[in-house]
Amino acid sequence: MSELAIRAIRLAKEYEIGEAQHNTLRDQITARLKSLFRPSASASSAQQRFWALRDVSFEIKKGEMVGIIGHNGAGKSTLLKVLSQITEPTSGRAEISGRVGSLLEVGTGFHFELTGRENVYLYGAILGMTKAEIDRKFDKIVEFSELQQFLDTPVKHYSSGMYVRLAFAVAAHLDPEILLIDEVLAVGDLAFQQKCMQQAQRLRDSDATVIVVSHNMFSIKAMCNRVLYLSHGKVLADGLPDQVIPMYEEAMLGGKGALDTPRWAAPKLERDPARRAVSITDMQVLDSSAQPRTMFDFGERVRLRMKYTIRRPLPTANFVVALIRSDGIGCCNYSSSLDGFQISPKVGDGELDLLTPPLKLVADLYSVHILVWDEHFQRLHGAQIGGSFHVRHKLLSSQFGVFHELGEWTSRPVEPLNSPETPPATKVEIR
Amino acid sequence: MQETKVIQPSKGLFRLDLRTVWKYRELLYFLVWRDIKVRYKQTIIGAAWAICQPLLTMMIFAIIFGRFAKMPSDNVPYPIFAFAGLLPWTYFSQSISRSGASLVADSNLIRKIYFPRLVIPAACVVAPAVDLALSFLILLVLMAWYRFVPGPALAVLPIFMLLAVVAALGVSLWLSALNVRYRDVGHAIPFLVQFWMYASPIVYPLSLVPRKWRTLYSLNPMVGVVEGFRWSLLSKQNLDPVSLALGTTTAVVILLGGLVFFKRMERVFADIV
Repeated sequence: MSELAIRAIRLAKEYEIGEAQHNTLRDQITARLKSLFRPSASASSAQQRFWALRDVSFEIKKGEMVGIIGHNGAGKSTLLKVLSQITEPTSGRAEISGRVGSLLEVGTGFHFELTGRENVYLYGAILGMTKAEIDRKFDKIVEFSELQQFLDTPVKHYSSGMYVRLAFAVAAHLDPEILLIDEVLAVGDLAFQQKCMQQAQRLRDSDATVIVVSHNMFSIKAMCNRVLYLSHGKVLADGLPDQVIPMYEEAMLGGKGALDTPRWAAPKLERDPARRAVSITDMQVLDSSAQPRTMFDFGERVRLRMKYTIRRPLPTANFVVALIRSDGIGCCNYSSSLDGFQISPKVGDGELDLLTPPLKLVADLYSVHILVWDEHFQRLHGAQIGGSFHVRHKLLSSQFGVFHELGEWTSRPVEPLNSPETPPATKVEIR
Repeated sequence: MQETKVIQPSKGLFRLDLRTVWKYRELLYFLVWRDIKVRYKQTIIGAAWAICQPLLTMMIFAIIFGRFAKMPSDNVPYPIFAFAGLLPWTYFSQSISRSGASLVADSNLIRKIYFPRLVIPAACVVAPAVDLALSFLILLVLMAWYRFVPGPALAVLPIFMLLAVVAALGVSLWLSALNVRYRDVGHAIPFLVQFWMYASPIVYPLSLVPRKWRTLYSLNPMVGVVEGFRWSLLSKQNLDPVSLALGTTTAVVILLGGLVFFKRMERVFADIV
């Protein structure tokens, strides 16, 4: 049982980035000439290298379900690419025993002109199945995808959801001994996701080894019994999900990154933040007594303090603060207009505090998105992702929904069964 | 018993690992099948294009070179002479044009899925053979029209076909791998194909090449292939064994060199494609 599935010994991967990559012959020739005349040029190109993985060592036993977490660019995907032999490590080695299936992206390899049926065969072959194997599993794959009636339609007429469902159905039947997955569980509707989770469960029962890269802490918690936390190409922590995930979340909270635009607001905004009518220059997460804090107990009030600059005069400035949970669910909004609070829309700088009511959000990580609308929510003048904070509760997690409010309960004694209201047909007698 | 796979930086020139390629032969089959299925989708005349292209080219050649320029054709009617040369040439030029762009076209696959990359250009070399088989039927019709009966030399035609595959695969491996790093290759291929055609005895017979240049000329593997095709199909002129041996040697050298080069480049495909 304690047989090893994967052993990685000091794996490292170096990439050349930026200008150091010469895609055409001309680039390479000019680069050579430059370095000939200017010796410092070669030194500067050495700086353009970076280590995506550094000295990564670990052992994974057969049957383990391992989650890999880390910030963007921490090396998670590179690690999967090295383990699935897509790219070679620069140094170090890995030993893998068992048939490997890797799903770094669902549906690459599908051909738009071919029908669903034809793509099942093509994609299956690309993933490494033999024709006989696909023949054998074909009915199960089709049943899993629920696309029986569209099998002979070219996939270019499929909706993106159908496309992903068919691709995942093929991939789910790969039946590998070691499965490497990159963020693919977050596809399809809820029912289909549940099916995928069941499939993962089935893999676990069949003693397969699974390695998942995900940003979704909920699915990592639900699936994995071990978590590797990567940061800047190194393994920062390796252990039980309950121990490692909080470390990652703490680091996310502490990270004072540049303020970003929320993904869902970005298309409505001008590209260049310097040209937006309003920009948020700073945001702090404070507690009710205005002390900086990132960890809150369930039911506490949170004070959000933001500094902003208005560049162009506006008719109204409606500041909206949205709290977004780590799995992307928008939980609630506070709007200055809806709350009847006027903010001077004149050109200039300002500071604004929002004190939330006692937050009844379940324990999770929340990021704060700030949006500046007009009062009718038609025009977006500015948007920014601020910091994030954590809500703590020993029981309530996102499995319990979005927020938890106290309900009012009452109870009454119920009349015996022979009461006149009870219809005789439903009477059940057990002797 | 399970074998343990070791992943580490590869060293040395000759770690070809053709066994893995063999394990993925079914993928090769599916890629060829995809290519053939997709190629003529949404076309009106469909697979007839495979026949039309060499047939129309032959007609142009027959008019310009056969009729106007009075090009000698080894005492064979010029249309069959040209068509017998165009068959292997169309195959070769299709192979290298398609495979040259193949790795870049399938860059999604290369970045996200593991399989021996060799199957991609290999599929591009196999697929045009289907077109070749179709045009071969047309050649038979043409030969019947001109009342030409092939001799016993027809039996060795597969050998020349094999030589064409070796030459096409060798050149394809070089071009496809180079194109991943230097996109210049993609722009150069059309010119290369055009130049190469005039450097091969397609529109003119080998006998037109001055004797003192023959050795150099025969280093082009397509000389041996085209001459071989004409010899076994039309059996009019003699086959020069020295010229054939030279061409075969270069074809094999290009293929072996191409395999080594391709396998070396393969390590970085996913990073730079």
